[in-house]
Parts: sequence; C-alpha cells; structure tokens
Amino acid sequence: MSHGLILSLYTQHEFRRLGIDLSKVIVLKYSNQETSVTIGESVRDEDVFIIQSGCGEINDNLMELLIMINACKTASARRITAVIPCFPYARQDKKDKSRAPITAKLVANMITVAGANHVITVDLHASQIQGFFNIPVDNLYCEPSMLKYINMNIPEWKNAIIVSPDAGGAKRAASIADRLNLEFALIHKERKKANEVSSMVLIGDVSGKIAILIDDMADTCGTLKLATSTLRDHGASKVYAIVAHGILSGKAIDVINDSLLERLVVTNTIPHDDKKAACSKIDTIDISSTLAEAIRRTHNGESVSFLFSHAPE
Amino acid sequence: MRNIVIFGGSSHTELAEQIASRLNVQLGRVKLSKFSNKETNVEIHESVREKDVYIIQSGCGHVNDNLMELLIMISACKIASAAKVTAVIPCFPYARQPDAPYKKNGELLSRIPKDAFIGYTFNTPASTPANEVKDPFGIALARFEEQSANGASTSGVSARNGYKHWIARSGTLIANLITCAGADHIITMDLHDPQFQGFFDVPVDNLYGQPLMIKYIKENIPNYQNAIIISPDAGGAKRATAIADKLHMDFALIHKERRSQSQPHKTDMMLVGEVRDKVCILIDDIADTSCTITKAAKILSESGAKKVCAIITHGILSGDAIQRIVASVIDQVIVSDSVPQSDHLARCSKLKVFNVAPIFAEAIRRIHNGESISALFNIMDLI
Repeated sequence: MSHGLILSLYTQHEFRRLGIDLSKVIVLKYSNQETSVTIGESVRDEDVFIIQSGCGEINDNLMELLIMINACKTASARRITAVIPCFPYARQDKKDKSRAPITAKLVANMITVAGANHVITVDLHASQIQGFFNIPVDNLYCEPSMLKYINMNIPEWKNAIIVSPDAGGAKRAASIADRLNLEFALIHKERKKANEVSSMVLIGDVSGKIAILIDDMADTCGTLKLATSTLRDHGASKVYAIVAHGILSGKAIDVINDSLLERLVVTNTIPHDDKKAACSKIDTIDISSTLAEAIRRTHNGESVSFLFSHAPE
Repeated sequence: MRNIVIFGGSSHTELAEQIASRLNVQLGRVKLSKFSNKETNVEIHESVREKDVYIIQSGCGHVNDNLMELLIMISACKIASAAKVTAVIPCFPYARQPDAPYKKNGELLSRIPKDAFIGYTFNTPASTPANEVKDPFGIALARFEEQSANGASTSGVSARNGYKHWIARSGTLIANLITCAGADHIITMDLHDPQFQGFFDVPVDNLYGQPLMIKYIKENIPNYQNAIIISPDAGGAKRATAIADKLHMDFALIHKERRSQSQPHKTDMMLVGEVRDKVCILIDDIADTSCTITKAAKILSESGAKKVCAIITHGILSGDAIQRIVASVIDQVIVSDSVPQSDHLARCSKLKVFNVAPIFAEAIRRIHNGESISALFNIMDLI
C-alpha cells in the first residue's frame, strides 16, 4: 500500500497481509499516570489507520486512542481512520433511567473531536451508535466468519438450532439461522440490574438438538451459563456459544468452566490468549482478515459492502 | 444557595465535601462505580433540571479514569437538562506539555537499570516518564532494543532522515474533550501554562494559589521579611517574583542548564542571587517527581542557606517523590490539597498542607451569584 500508515496498539499479525509493517509508536505512562504517545514516523499527508480495541483498562486505552488520533492530526495526517474492533461503552447507549449518561454518544463525540475522519468497527452492540457520529462509520459484521466457523468446526451443524439468549439479539441470531437454513429459538430473560439475570423462559423446541447460542458480547458470562442450563433442561444434547466480543471480565472464566457449555467461540476483537490458557472451552475466530480487507478497501476507495456477507480468505 | 447542585468525583471526595459544607449545601447524591469490564458507571440520584451543576474532580491518581468519570458526569448532567455545568478541576490533568525523553535521533534515553538501585538520594535521576512501559506486544520497544544493540540506532530508528519524533501534546485535546462533553465553564487553579486557557472555547477561571501561599508565609514562617524567595527554574520566575514583590522580600533564581548531548543525565544548575545564612522559600506550581525542588534544595544548602522550604500548589508527588523528599536536605515541603494528601502526609513528616477549599467555595459562590472573580484575588486576606 502506498501512502498508508498503520499505527496499532492491538495486534500485529493481521497487517502482514496488507504487505506493510506497523509503524513505530511508543506509548508510555508517566509516573503521575498520564499517558504519553510518541509517533516514530512521519505521517504528513499520509492515510493513517489507528487500531485500538476497547478492552482491558478501557479508559486508559480510550485516552491512548484519542491522544494518538490527535497527535496524527496535529502532525498533518491527510486522513485518520480509527479502527476500533470492540467499541468501548457500547452498552451505555440509551437513557434507560433518569439522568443516565449516554456514554457511547460521548465516546463518539470524543473520537470526532480528537480528529478522526472515519471509524471502522465490528458488530456494534446497537447499530444506532453509527448515528452518534457525524463522520462515516463502517460497522463490519462477524456473521460471515461465524457461519464459516459453524460450517467447518461443528460437524453435526445440520441438526442444530440457533438460539438467541435475549430478545435484543433475536435479529442477529435469526439472520444466521436463515443463512444456514436452520430453526431458531429464543430465550427471554428478565434482568433486575446490570450483569445479573433473574429468570429465563425458552421459546421454541430444542429437544434432541445441538443448540448454538449467538450473541454479540460475553462479559461476565452469567447469561450464557443460565441459557446453557435452560437449554439443557429442555433437552438440548449439546450447547455451543458463538459470541462476537469476548470481554470475559470478572469471574467469567470460572463461570464457563463450571457451565455445561460445550464450547465458547469468540472473535479476536479482544486479546484473550491468557483466558484461553485458563479455559480449554474457549475457541477463537480470527477476524483479522476482515479488518485487513476493510482497511485495504477503505484506503483504495473501494466498496466494503462485500465484507458484510463474505469472510475473506 | 438556590438552584445549585454540587457533585464530587471519586478523585477527591474530601475536598468536595469541604467546599460543599463551606457553601452550606449538601453534596449531590451520585453513585460512581466501575462495571466488571472496567467501564466507568455514573448514576446521578439527584434532579439537576434547570439547575447550576458544579462537578469537582481533580486530575490525580488514575488520571484517565478520573478524567473519563468527569466527562461522563458532565455529559449525564447535560442530557438531564442541567441549566449550566461547571467543571471544577483543582489540579488540571495533562497540563504540562511533555519534555522529550528521547535523544535527537529518537532513541530512548538510556536509564539506570532498576536492579542497580542502591537507595534514594536527592540526586537519584527521575524515573519518570518511562517507569511503566505500556506496549502489550512489545513491538516498538523490541525494535528500539534491537537497534541499539546493533549499534545502528541513528540510521535505523528514524524512519526518514532528519525526522524528529512527534510527541503528542494533548493540551488542546483535553480542553476539547471537556468542552465536547458539555461543560459550560471551567474553574481550575494555577494552570502550568497560562496559555492553556486559550485552548478552551468556554470561559475558564484560573484561580491563584498565590494569596494562600502569601498567607501561609505570613502566618507560619517567623521573621519572613528576612527570608528569600527562590524560583527553582526560569519558567516559574514570574510566579515567584509576584510573591516576593507583595511581601517585599528578596528574590533569587536557579537556572537549569539544558543537558549536554554527551551526558544526558547531567543537568547543571546555577544559582543567581545571594542566599547565605538565609531562610530560602522555593515557590513552584507542580511537584511531581519533586526532582526540581530537591536538586534546588541541594544547591541552596551548598550555597550556605540556613533553612530550605518549598511551597507548591499541586503536590502530585508521584513515583519516588516521597522517598526523594525524605532523603533530601529540604526542611519542609508545603503543598495544597488540590490533590489528596493524606497518604503522602502519613509517609513524610516534612510535608505540610494548606487548604484550597475556601478559595474554590468562594469562587463557586461568586460565579453562581454572578459576582466578580477578580475581586477574589485581592480580598484573600479576609478568607
């Protein structure tokens, strides 16, 4: 790629396929905990892609991203694209009670104010977040990669049923069920407060089938565990879960190990090698090819809509 | 006071309480926590509709977490129809533009290895800014190490010949973030660069610690007329002379010479002025690693000063600062409580604290009632 620069705090391997190296960037923290960013390469009149995921110490990572965008901006980059595989604060996207902050909107504003010209992200929790930005946002989907995974790694998939663990994700799961020509079931959950689910009701028949749970996020994994036991109680022979963003915070690993889940499949939008080592049930879908292809297409001014339905090799 | 809600961020609840009690209002009820995935959660349990909201949050501790919390609180109040949101930031984060910790060719300055460490002296080189390297995949650093090992650092590290590494200067960014979150007004204290005010598109009231420092000197330093005010570097000379003028005291300056290329660690310091047998009062705005003041104290005592104390607005005292002060010849360090000091106080007997709550409370009262702030700087003796 000519006149393209990639600055990444996220992962290196996916960009080998673009035939360019990651640029040199140093991120330090001063002893007073302020973040310092040094860019080791000229970005003047270049097309800059900055890759940073919203994971781990979210606030630190977000500040790093903002400072990097701003540094590139003041260093006269031609265009800055923030590639955010897992968008931070995506779940705080509505005023669901009095005086609740819409932090996703705030983050969108912050990224714009810092100087980003374009945002590429993967499986936004609510696609309406795209509307929080005044700059173009490409929301890529994990769906093609998930379909590929089901095809290749779940041998009995023709006898499977796709299950959405909550009503909000029904569309996502139904779309996968349609593409695979499988049946579809839904679990209705009642949530009393964040990260805690009280009761579950299954809608649909899963007995004797392999249930594949589809969701966009696995955080504390309480939902997944409950959904798994609900499905098993209703006669499902095996339960898989395929999730776009494996945040796996708190006691998630213990919860998965204790659960009846056959396998938890997450994409690598969030680094989780350490968690994989602690839990043999976790499997990874590599979506770096999708991101790399999106970057290549964005840089060359080609359409990215192909990626909404196909996973590049 | 009517139509006012004051919230305290989690960075410095003590100060927020003091300010609220001086204004005779209850602190607004707010729940600040973190979700298990480390996202910040803010719940405001108090109606703010058509009210003037003041949010007190200092830039200390986990700076990024606290900043994010402030931004979310501002935004939450704004979308909950607050009439006006004022961010009260006693110690402004990211106020200093970074000093380049690199050589001209972009190579990292070599540092004394951590295991070679014997003990803290006043002269221990600062471990900032590189005491915590965050680079999850070791890419950048591995490259640097590789190249310095090959001895090819000059040509290899700089991508294009003559390119000087671009260090992010985040001042404007932070100002823009606070404005874009929805703050209508900023109150802060002793900004490191007065120019920082210009980064904002909203009004900024920069309060001065100076009247409080003058009060402290008058009340706590016996025979202060015979003491001498010292500025530990040329940049702070203006700040120090202002105090010296008001108290009719002598003034001296320590001049930091830039590090030479061959010995990057060695900074020569020169004292301009006569301090023999005098009580020296160092004046500065920020003490972070406290290298500047401990080195200055060394020079002053070598030049025959009777006693050295330092009065500083923002005592961030991060990293090894406390050990360095304990080991130094400095007799007393007086800092404001713009940053929580109770931990520091417990670890260092040389530390004294003066309270900034009165000045912030009075500023909030005046701003809320639409009175002049500039009068505040002149009548500080009354507080």
